[in-house]
Order: sequence, then structure tokens, then C-alpha cells
Amino acid sequence: MARVYQVPHHAFGWLVAGTFMAALPHLIHGPLWLRILLPATVLGRILIQRGRLPMPGRVLRVILLGGVLLGTLYTHGTVLGPDAGTCLLVAAFALKLLEMVRLRDAYVLLVLGYFVLATTFLFYQGPIASLYVLLSMLCLTAALPGINHPEAGARAWRHFRLALVMLLQAVPLMLLLFVLVPRISPLWSLEFSQERSRTGMSDSMAPGEVSHLSQSRELAFRVEFEGAVPPPAARYWRGLTYAWFDGRRWSQARPQEISQADYVWFPASPQPRPDWAATLVAARDEAAARGPVYRYRVVQEPSRRNWLYALAVPFADDTRLGLVRDLRLVSREELNQRRDYRVTSYPALRSSMPMSPADEAISLQLPEGFNPRAREMARRWYREAGSAEAYANRLLRWFREESFYYTLEPPLLGEHTVDEFLFGSRRGFCEHYASAFAFMMRAAGVPARIVAGYQGGELNPVGNHLRVHQYHAHAWTEIWLPGSGWVEVDPTAAVAPSRIEMGPEAALQDDPLADFQGIMRDLPWLQQLSNRFDYVQFIWQKWVLDYDESSQLSLLQRWLGDVSPARIGMALAAGAAVLLMPVALWVLLRRRGPGRTPMQREYRAMLKQLRGRGLVLSDDLPPRRLVREAGGQWPAARPVLKKWGRAFEESVYGGQAGTSLRALRRYRRQLRWLRGARGGQHVSPG
Amino acid sequence: MLAAVRAPLQRRYRQWLARRMPASRQQRLTQQRIFILPTRYGLFFLLIAALLFLGGINYENNLIMALSFLMTSLFMIAILHTFRNLAGLLVRAGQLEPGHAGAEGALEILLHADDRHPHLSLWLRWPGGPVEEVSVLPGEEKSVWLRLPLKRRGRVHPGRLHIESRYPLGLLRAWSQLDMAHPALAWPRAAPSEFCPASGGDAEQGLQHTRLAGSDDFQGLRSYQPGDPPRMVDWKAYARGRGLHSKYFADPAEGWLWLDWAMMPGVDPETRLSRLTWWVLQLEQKNQRYGLRLPGAELPPGLGPEQQRQALDLLALYGEEVA
Repeated sequence: MARVYQVPHHAFGWLVAGTFMAALPHLIHGPLWLRILLPATVLGRILIQRGRLPMPGRVLRVILLGGVLLGTLYTHGTVLGPDAGTCLLVAAFALKLLEMVRLRDAYVLLVLGYFVLATTFLFYQGPIASLYVLLSMLCLTAALPGINHPEAGARAWRHFRLALVMLLQAVPLMLLLFVLVPRISPLWSLEFSQERSRTGMSDSMAPGEVSHLSQSRELAFRVEFEGAVPPPAARYWRGLTYAWFDGRRWSQARPQEISQADYVWFPASPQPRPDWAATLVAARDEAAARGPVYRYRVVQEPSRRNWLYALAVPFADDTRLGLVRDLRLVSREELNQRRDYRVTSYPALRSSMPMSPADEAISLQLPEGFNPRAREMARRWYREAGSAEAYANRLLRWFREESFYYTLEPPLLGEHTVDEFLFGSRRGFCEHYASAFAFMMRAAGVPARIVAGYQGGELNPVGNHLRVHQYHAHAWTEIWLPGSGWVEVDPTAAVAPSRIEMGPEAALQDDPLADFQGIMRDLPWLQQLSNRFDYVQFIWQKWVLDYDESSQLSLLQRWLGDVSPARIGMALAAGAAVLLMPVALWVLLRRRGPGRTPMQREYRAMLKQLRGRGLVLSDDLPPRRLVREAGGQWPAARPVLKKWGRAFEESVYGGQAGTSLRALRRYRRQLRWLRGARGGQHVSPG
Repeated sequence: MLAAVRAPLQRRYRQWLARRMPASRQQRLTQQRIFILPTRYGLFFLLIAALLFLGGINYENNLIMALSFLMTSLFMIAILHTFRNLAGLLVRAGQLEPGHAGAEGALEILLHADDRHPHLSLWLRWPGGPVEEVSVLPGEEKSVWLRLPLKRRGRVHPGRLHIESRYPLGLLRAWSQLDMAHPALAWPRAAPSEFCPASGGDAEQGLQHTRLAGSDDFQGLRSYQPGDPPRMVDWKAYARGRGLHSKYFADPAEGWLWLDWAMMPGVDPETRLSRLTWWVLQLEQKNQRYGLRLPGAELPPGLGPEQQRQALDLLALYGEEVA
């Protein structure tokens, strides 16, 4: 049953809108040539459809395709992998728009459109992006009834309505499939290219070498608390510790004497639990009695690192996570996907952590020959203070009282970074203060290390969760005090206490971002809106994006009791039947009401309009009587009504409904502009 | 090889169809009469959904998986809508337009929609015939004339009426094959013959062979009278100096011819029918009244479209059982 094919005009709009919307997100991160190509092909297609341009010939098409291949190679260096593959797909998709000459091409274009839409989710996964994809899918789907409805009289918006109805009917079944279809582990491993690696913490820091700290609003992670939320001053999200100092750079280090098995403890691994971990586990209950316990869930954005963020002395319930000797969490593999994990933190457990000679040695390590002035001062002050605690307090008071400044744009430092900072520039951000403080502690013989992580977080009152952004990144120190264990000391707090209490924006009054935040605070509704949206994002994250094998298992166990393939199959079948049955009944049995031919609709519309003007008319009058009675009640409308009546009878009995319907509607519009039904009740002003 | 397997299968299928959907001149498309299967595009659509599912698993991307599920669900919903587009349609056999064997005839199909749903973009055809597309709105009755080739004389059974719809998404096609008990009629092929197989206009004249070449039942000459049309003047005789004479013709209203099967002894029946057909058309064109005698049937003399139609139908149905 082959037919000669043309894209019907009422379908063309949806087709172009759908394909354009499907490809649009890829233009944002795509290369420049792709950004030019797509609008050009859309424009070209519109011109072809209007007969202004001929269809491109075979030579031109081959040249374009070759160009697209070369462009992809040039941009990505390959045509394989998700980035290059998506780029190539979108470009080929755009070209397909140009060579659409048959019904078959239109189908291929539309079905490919769904595929292109799906690739959007490789790059964007938020609720807004998902809504956008749904809307684009609606347009693509609206084009399908259009190309299947070759009659010229079809209305474009009806296709849209049909697509909307069908998609709405499909949603319950989709949800069922989403919940029940078993999640399988990836069939083969895939690597994202490094192009999209993210900003974040690095595994070392060199305070003198950074003259500008970029402040990214990008989200680092979210935290949802069960129960008590720690006060701002206690929100120190520990990521990693720097124990090794080479004079310029602080970096991560594991003491040589300590084996990897003794360094990290994976609760699920068969290896024996290290002694220190056993000590901590044994002391948990006692620590819970002494101090607060925080239970929370962290939703970590992909960081491409394997360290995680938690409050001090964290215990995670995830078998892939381990506890490290310096009281932080690590993951077995890097976080290339979003990951959420539940943590219970016992701040009071710090004092139970034993100190080994190897740990102590590395926490006192300092390279020879750097920062002589600082060393000399450290020794003198420690002698004068008498205890480590008194010495630390004196140092902090000194930071606070002398003219130290907190700034994100400090001067570069030379060879003796600590000396130059303490006795020269006195300007810096958290890294400078932490570095100087830890150096001074070690120089006086107090074990110290630097902790890198995030400090603070914005509490969203709507969802009782914290948002921690990249600009919350922070570095502070921990010193070892006999009896108290590792104690958190934040020298930056001594210089810029507001940084800790109110967040980084408070400490940086000249930051444009701070102005924005200020505006947010002055407009409570805007703040509230932003909070609500963040909550939506959080829920989305929790229930949609993070729905994985384990959450599926626990959910199904709650619903089905025992989870077996047979049970899941039965649940799928039963659920599909329950969901499809009402839809089927509705689709098959719904009456569209009696007035369904165009002329009947026209008659009803007229009756409704006249009644809306206050005319009293009974149902089912013949058109001629309707005109007479309405004319009697509303004399001003009589001429238009008569014309309408004549046109109506002509189209009913003359059989040219198509042409005169437009005339009928025009008369009805004219009536709408007439004033004063029922003898001028509506008095015009002026 | 393939044909050897296919032929019995097709016969089985036809027998099964005949049991499931017996012939009737009026049939409503119900669940029993509607078949539904994906089209090629539907399979492509499902393939893309399956690919997305694999991609969703591999990239651990729930949204890609959700889109795949949404496509699958949309496909399921499309089954309902595609079915709905055919279901409930009342199909009736209408009139017929006969044709000569070897040419085309047409059969009318009436489609009546109840006032529930529209039935959009339906494709109708007879096996081997061209496709007609039609949409029926709620409460409407549409008449569709479907052409079909007529291969032989007589009542032609067109086979099962094929009604198909891919609306709305084109991913599925719903179809039905109905035996409408609506045979077409094929008149015999017209075959010219020199001599008219007819017996005379009146009883007294008896057998008369009318000459073919424009003779127009020439009766004789009479002397010219004022008022005679110049067309009737015998100009040849006038040129030879025989004076002005007018030709006169037998009045068609008074005389008639009996086209007779029995006038062509030794000719095979189909040829006889073809010749009679040709003469029916000829005499009709020449405004000559005629009757038709066939073994076991007789059409009284007459003239005009009705007479021609009756004569041709009689010829078409010669030897066939009277329906």
C-alpha cells in the first residue's frame, strides 16, 4: 500500500519543533560548528518546504556528511564514545532533516529524535531538564499523528492534544516499569572522557602558589539529616588530610610503617579488622552517651575522586566504603556517578583514636631549612606557654589581634612561605592560615595535620537538608592533645569568624555573588522559591536518579516480601493489567458527546455564545427559529444572525461545509464585538 | 519450494478466516474481526527503546531508562488507540458499478461511524485493487467506491475487503478482512461482428440482414418535397441527372430488431455473448430499438440507458445461477 508522500502542513510544525528541541541541549555544550549546523538545517528545511530551495542533491549531502565526520574527529579526536558519538548523532540527525523526502524518512527522523532526546540525559539530569525532554517528546509524538493524517483539514493542535493524552495515559505504566524492571549491573564498562572532569578538591595544596581562588557555585554534595542538624560551627565535612610538608606543598601521606590493610578498614572485607578500628567500634556507645550523634545521608555529586565527605568519626552503611586511619571515608572506586551513602558520625569518638609512634612521627615531620623565623618563634612561644593548648590559643589570639586579613586574592609567596606570610604579607585564605598554623605547631613539637574538605553548607528549611557548594571548600588543622585526641582548630575562624558562622559569602563583602545572596535575603519569597526548588531537586535525586539495585531491592522486599524473578514478573503483569484496564475502558468506551460533526459543534458554539449574552433560548431549535428568536431578543444582532443562518443552511444542505465553516466562525466573531444584547443592558462608557 | 509450503498455509488461513468471519453484507468491526501488529516503524521504535534500556543500564542512568520505559508504554497505549480507530465501524455493501470484462468495475462500500469516535485515515481496497483513503467522523456515513479489475464475465467475487488503519502513531497497523458478500458484475467483452445477429423489425418482414456500412435502415427513395432536410437528399442521383429525390428511412419508433442468441449457429457461447454485447452498444448508439433473446431469457424491445443496462446484465449473467 504505497502512497505518494508529502509532509502535511499541519504536521510540519511539530516535526521541526520536535527535532529542533531534541537537538537543542547538545548545542549548549557542543562545538561551534554543530551550533551553526542545526539552525541552518532547520532553516533550510523550512525553505525547502515552502518551495524556496530545491532538495539538496546527492553530492551536497555526501559533502555535508563528510564534513560532519571530520568536524567530530577534529573536536573529539574520535567518533566513538558518548561525547563524540552524541555529537555525531546530533549532526547526522540534523542532516536527516534536509533529506526527508518520503514518509519513511519522516518516521526515521522522528524515531531517531527519541534517541537523540535520550542522550540529553547523559549531560543533564535535573528535574527541569527532564521536563524539557518530556515537552520535546510531546512535540515529536504530536508529529506522528500528523504524518499519519493526510487530510488537509486536520488541525495541528489536535495532534498535540492527542499526543498529550496518549503520553499521560502511558505515564502510569512507565512508572510501574521504572519501579519493577530489575536493575542489572552494567554489561560492559564505560569510561567518560576527561573533558568533563570537575572542579573540586585536589590531593595536595601549595598555599603560596595560588594567587586567585575561583569560587564555583557548583554543588559538591547535599546532606539530609535524620534528627539533629549540627550547628554551623560544627559543620566540618572532612575529605582528606595532608600530613606531609615538603616546604611548599602539603600532601596526603601514609606512614611507611603502616600497611594498607592497617590504614583503611572496609567493614565488609574478609580481612581482619585493624586494632584502631576495633577500638573505635567498641567505644561507639560510650561516645554516643558523651556527645551528639549525627545520622545523615550524603548525596555526593560525581567528583572523579575516591574520597568522600563526612563529619568526624563517620561510620557508613555502604559496603563499598571504608574508614581510613585519619578518620575519613573512602570509596573503593572513583565517583564517576552520583552516589549517596548513609553515615552516622560520633564527634566524641575522636578521643578514643589511639596514636601510634608512626602517626606521631609523620605528624611532626618538617623539612629542614625552611622558615627559620617561624621555627624560632614557635619554640620560644611554646616554652613561654607551657602547654600545647595554651600555645595554640596564643597563636590564634595573635592571628586575631594582629593585622591579618582574609582574602581570596593573596600575593604570591617566595621560598619561605610561612615566614613571608606570618611576618610579611599577612593576607591569605584558609590554606595560608592552616598551613602556617600546622607549621607552627609541628615546629613546637605538637603533632598537627591539615584537613581539606568543606565547611558549612546552606540549610534548606523545606527539606531539612544542607547544600554544600564548591565555594564552601575549606582547609583547617587538627592537633593532637593528649587525652583529647585529634582536636579541630580552624585558624581561619580566628581571622574571619564570619566565614565559619555565616558562610563564605559573609566573609567576602566585595564578591558579586555576595550581592546576589544579599538580594535573595531581602526578598524572602525568592529565597523561599529557591529553597523549594532545591528541595524538589533533592527529592528528584533521592527517588529518581539514585533509584538503583539496592534501593529497588529494599523497596520490593517491603512490597512483595520475597523477591524472586517469578514474583517480579507476576507483579509486572498484574500491575500492567490493573493500570491498562481503566485506560482501555476509557479509550474504547468514552463517548465524545452527541454534537460532534463540525456543523453540530458550530450550532452549539452559537447557542452557548448567545446564552452567554443573556438570551433565553431553548435547546434543539431549528437554525432558522434560533435566528428568529435570538434576533427578537437582540435586535442589533439581527443582520449578522441572518447571515449566519443563511450560511448555516447553505452548508448543511449545500454540502460545502469546509468553505462556509470559516464564514460561520467569522459571523460569530462579529457578534462578539456587538454591544448590548437585550435592549442595551450593557451601556458603553463614554 | 516456498510456494509449495505457502499455498496450503494460505488455504488454511482462508478457511480459518471464513470460519471466523463469515460473509455478510453488513458487518461491524469488533474485536473478533480486527487484527493488529506493529509496522516496520513500530519495530524500529521498539528497537530504539531496547537500545535505550541497554544504554540506561550501562551508564547507570535512570532517566534514559525511564525514557525507554515511556516509549514502551506509549507503544502499548498506541495499541489501544490504533484498535479504537477501527473498532465499532459498521461496514455495509452498497451499490455496484459493472464494467466489461478486462476493464474495471467498482463496488460501493458504506462506512458508518457511531457517534462515539471518529475513524481517521482508513485505507480500503479489494485484493489487487487500488487503495482508497477515507475518514469517517462520528455519526457520519461515508460512501467509498472501490475499483477492482474484472478478469472474466459474470458475477465477480472480489475477495475479502481489506480495511487498514495506522492512525494515530503509525507504529501499529490494525486491519480487517471482510467477506462483504458483495459481488461485482462484469459484462461480456464487446466483440464487433459484421452481421447483426438479429431477426427482423416486424413479423411480415421476416429475416432481414441489415447492411453495416452506414445504411441506417435505408428503405427507398421518393421525390423531393420542400421541407426535406438537405442531409436526406440523394445528391449522387441528382448529380447523375435523375432529378431531386429524398432518401427515406424506416422510422426507428416503429420497427425493432430482436438480437438473438440463436442467430449465430456454430459460434462458441462466449463469442456469441461478446457479439451481442457489441450490437447492444451499437444499436443503442444508433437509436435503434431492440430486444434480446437468450436461451431461457427474453428482454422485450426497448431503447435507452435502462434497456441497455438490462440487456448487458442479462448477457453478463447468462449461464450463471440467478442470485
